Amino acid sequence: MRVTGESKPQGRSQGFWIGLFCANIGAIVAWRVTDAINSPTGTVLLALTMLLLIPIVKAGERSGCNSPAMRIYNRRVLIASFGYVLGLGTAISLWRNYDLARPAIFAISMLPVLPTFGMIWAMARYLIEEEDEYLRYRTTMAALVGLGGVLAIGIFWGFLEMFELVPHIWSWWVLPVWALGLAIAQLWMKVRAE
Amino acid sequence: MKNQLKVLRAMRDWSQQDLAERLGVSRQSVNAIETGKYDPSLPLAFKIAEVFEQTIEEIFQRD
Repeated sequence: MRVTGESKPQGRSQGFWIGLFCANIGAIVAWRVTDAINSPTGTVLLALTMLLLIPIVKAGERSGCNSPAMRIYNRRVLIASFGYVLGLGTAISLWRNYDLARPAIFAISMLPVLPTFGMIWAMARYLIEEEDEYLRYRTTMAALVGLGGVLAIGIFWGFLEMFELVPHIWSWWVLPVWALGLAIAQLWMKVRAE
Repeated sequence: MKNQLKVLRAMRDWSQQDLAERLGVSRQSVNAIETGKYDPSLPLAFKIAEVFEQTIEEIFQRD
């Protein structure tokens, strides 16, 4: 059943959509770093790019490789991701345009934090709800690989930072780095299994 | 651990998907067990034995 009138993208594989998503993120980051676009434009483009998560999830469901628990997890992460982009954009706009008191700054800083907690909760629920022991094992192993990556990179960067060789980075980077490690490990195990 | 899953499946002319449906697991699970990349838990091993009407020892052997 087609969701939209566009016929071409419907048959695309999940890999295509993931590639397009990564390319868009890369382009937006490159434009922001080179000041080709301003911050609000970057936020809007990022929000639009997040819409690509919908075909990513749909293509995954069409492939029939996802368990019921994985489908629920994907939808939860999708909702949390939209909340995150919306929360982050709103928080940055408010912070830059208004002279806020500290309690208000605390409140707006929670806007991107809470959806991120939602993603962590979604992963915990997935591990509880997944009835297929092999898929649960695979995700657990991938999560441990992601954790190992975060610890290794965090310690490596932390000491370089302590000796003033590299600039300071914000600690929220642990989640994207962990998620990247998780995704790479999942992909590697999937390829190895097939 | 070695196993006879592929042979037993072939004898019944079942695909990996057929077996997965009978076991209530994913096709990836059957593939991983069959190729020795994953050793099933005891409850799943009992279920596999039940589906093939054999003992666990007849299906799974040490390397």
